[in-house]
Amino acid sequence: MRAVFDYVRVVADSDSSILITGETGTGKELIANLIHQASHRRHKPFVPVSCAIFAETLIESELFGHERGAFTGAIKDRPGRFEMAEGGTIFLDDVDDVPLSVQVKLLRVLQNRVIERVGGTRALPVDVRAITGTKRDLKQLVADGKFREDLYYRLNVIPITLPPLRERREDIPLLAETFLKRFFQRRDQPPRPLSPGVLQAFMRYPWPGNVRELENACERIAQTCTCDTVKIGCVPVSVLFHRNTEGAEPVIETHAHPSSVSLEDRLRDVEQGLITWALRVSGGNKSKAAELLQIKRSTLGDRIKKLGLPDSGSDDSGRPASAE
Amino acid sequence: MVTREQVEVVVARIRPFIQNDGGDIELVDVSGNRATVRMSGNCVGCPSASMTLYMGLEQALRDEVPGFEELVVV
Repeated sequence: MRAVFDYVRVVADSDSSILITGETGTGKELIANLIHQASHRRHKPFVPVSCAIFAETLIESELFGHERGAFTGAIKDRPGRFEMAEGGTIFLDDVDDVPLSVQVKLLRVLQNRVIERVGGTRALPVDVRAITGTKRDLKQLVADGKFREDLYYRLNVIPITLPPLRERREDIPLLAETFLKRFFQRRDQPPRPLSPGVLQAFMRYPWPGNVRELENACERIAQTCTCDTVKIGCVPVSVLFHRNTEGAEPVIETHAHPSSVSLEDRLRDVEQGLITWALRVSGGNKSKAAELLQIKRSTLGDRIKKLGLPDSGSDDSGRPASAE
Repeated sequence: MVTREQVEVVVARIRPFIQNDGGDIELVDVSGNRATVRMSGNCVGCPSASMTLYMGLEQALRDEVPGFEELVVV
């Protein structure tokens, strides 16, 4: 994620199209806004548009505007989002939902920097930077014939991919802390720490709705918590009772073939599997991993060394583990 | 008929979290289509927590254990 922020700084000031790919709730609009704020266009409007919320026929009028009488109900001239974003940035989210017929027009606009309102004849020049967002793999949609290849290349000049929250679990505690602080503040209450049980539940849950889901969970907690620490009872049911498969302990499969088995090798495999799992769900924090495995912190260190596992974990104190 | 094992699987999923917070949840009895649990620790007495844990557990049991009807907390 830090790499994404560094990258944003590099690409912000150009006028090239940017395509942001990321699951729902990973922060596509946030990044788009950040790019806008870091560019020379920051004093001009940032106009986010979701292309998914409009009926097919409405998208065109929403993006490019329409003239009076263009269709039933068009009682007056209306500028489109491109015109509203003049001089600034337009963020077209869910661009994968734009129907093929409108894709052609979008391509023309981006290529010629000129728009034509629905029912209009004048060509209006626009100076707008386009950032697009998608939760689906556009390249795949192109291969399936659902997205125009020429538009894809036009949009994907600078690609940015946002990782899902489950792939950056180490950020969960900091994010949760930040959100809780904000939501408690809104209630004029001091922030409260998270109990170990809550943290454990948060680290194990796969967060299909990503950061947005975590944010909502924190808002709920701030509304319902009545004690001085956020404990397990305040965590939303969906998080608590999730039948997780990904963060679960690795299954120890039974040996199928009847040939001889090396107990030492098998135990080693099991140990390695469990330690790798514990380090993963604790975000590389060895003290927490040791707690999960119900062994001492020092024992865990010894075993990692003995197994020759990559020593990338950290301590609570932040010292490199090799310094011990 | 609901078995003790079926209920225990679901209870075991949240037990580590509760224990980590200094509490516990104990499966007292399973009879017919109902189960009785005893909760202890910090969250006892907090209306939000009772709501979450009780409703969450009952819902999870209904979803995952065929025929399960009622959860009783003692």
